Amino acid sequence: MSLRSPLGQVLGHGAAKAGVHHWWVQRLTAVALVPLAVWFVVSVLSLPTLSYPAVSAWMGEPWTAVLLMLFVLSAAWHSQLGVRVVIEDYVHARGMRTVALALLTYLHVLAAAAGVFAIIKVALGGAA
Amino acid sequence: MAEFRLPPNSRIRGGVTHRAPAGAQEVRTFRIYRFDPDSGENPRVDTFELDVSGCGPMVLDGLISIKASVDSSLTFRRSCREGICGSCAMNINGINRLACTTSMHELGREIRIYPLPHMPVVKDLVPDLTQFYAQYASVKPWLQTETPPPPDRERLQSKEEQEQIDRPAACILCACCSTACPSYWWNSDRYLGPAALLAAYRWIIDSRDEATGERLDALEDPFKLYRCHTIMNCTDVCPKDLNPAKAIAEIKKMLIERQS
Repeated sequence: MSLRSPLGQVLGHGAAKAGVHHWWVQRLTAVALVPLAVWFVVSVLSLPTLSYPAVSAWMGEPWTAVLLMLFVLSAAWHSQLGVRVVIEDYVHARGMRTVALALLTYLHVLAAAAGVFAIIKVALGGAA
Repeated sequence: MAEFRLPPNSRIRGGVTHRAPAGAQEVRTFRIYRFDPDSGENPRVDTFELDVSGCGPMVLDGLISIKASVDSSLTFRRSCREGICGSCAMNINGINRLACTTSMHELGREIRIYPLPHMPVVKDLVPDLTQFYAQYASVKPWLQTETPPPPDRERLQSKEEQEQIDRPAACILCACCSTACPSYWWNSDRYLGPAALLAAYRWIIDSRDEATGERLDALEDPFKLYRCHTIMNCTDVCPKDLNPAKAIAEIKKMLIERQS
């Protein structure tokens, strides 16, 4: 129970002057993911076999490696933005929310770094 | 966490049934949410079998008939009975709408009436709209200008400029849209909701207003504006056929356009 006026409660701490960037990047990555995802699925399905030599040879091609990295980075970035909104929506306890948002960021950076490293390793490593 | 279950003192328990009198011609069953803050009891759902042959065609006519002839303690807001005051907004058969413009005949034999969802209940079908009105007030829904008005006439608008605000200005603040929005349910303490944002939009695009920048500044916030996830329940339920979802999308577009 608060005796603060209803208008005072609604005004709260004012506008954070943020949100536009989040909204825009979420859309940018979404649009980028459409061709990247289609390209990825079509390419993998049209490989003659899914053996390690066949896939690593495909990933060794420059465009393949570059597009794969863009795919992994866009997906990680887009996912980070989306899950962030879910946490903000549903986790209201302030401490828990801060911890969840921090963990979310770390996990997505970890996933992106691991993905990029895996692509470089397979693309440059040649046959196993 | 967001509350997905009602708190224990808000859960519905039991209810009273009022049978239709013998010789009733056209019986409809109203199941109506009842809550009396003075009783200290949990809310209940009462059943009223009403002979609607003697009353008007709208749900509000049925409610007035119940209050007049069955249970005078039934509490609800109503005023104009023609869809312009926005008082009788309630959840009827699962959809937020105005009791006065909803025909009983399109609802079938059973009519379930609850107060607007996820709001504190004052009594029966009367929700506490204090926060909703404060959100409306927070967008400063009045003309703000630096230029003094012409001494000899009103501030002029072109026909096209008037048409831009014509529909958004028709909002009756019934709260059907905001209380249909899941994002508003979870975060109404920080998210302004579709009704207040539609009002903000109405003043942002008003050609006479000179506080457009300040208005956009005040909305540039992850919660006040960007909790809208384009669910579009607001536009779906609006009894005036307005489009708050489109207004919010336009505000987001203006915020991005002024950056590049």
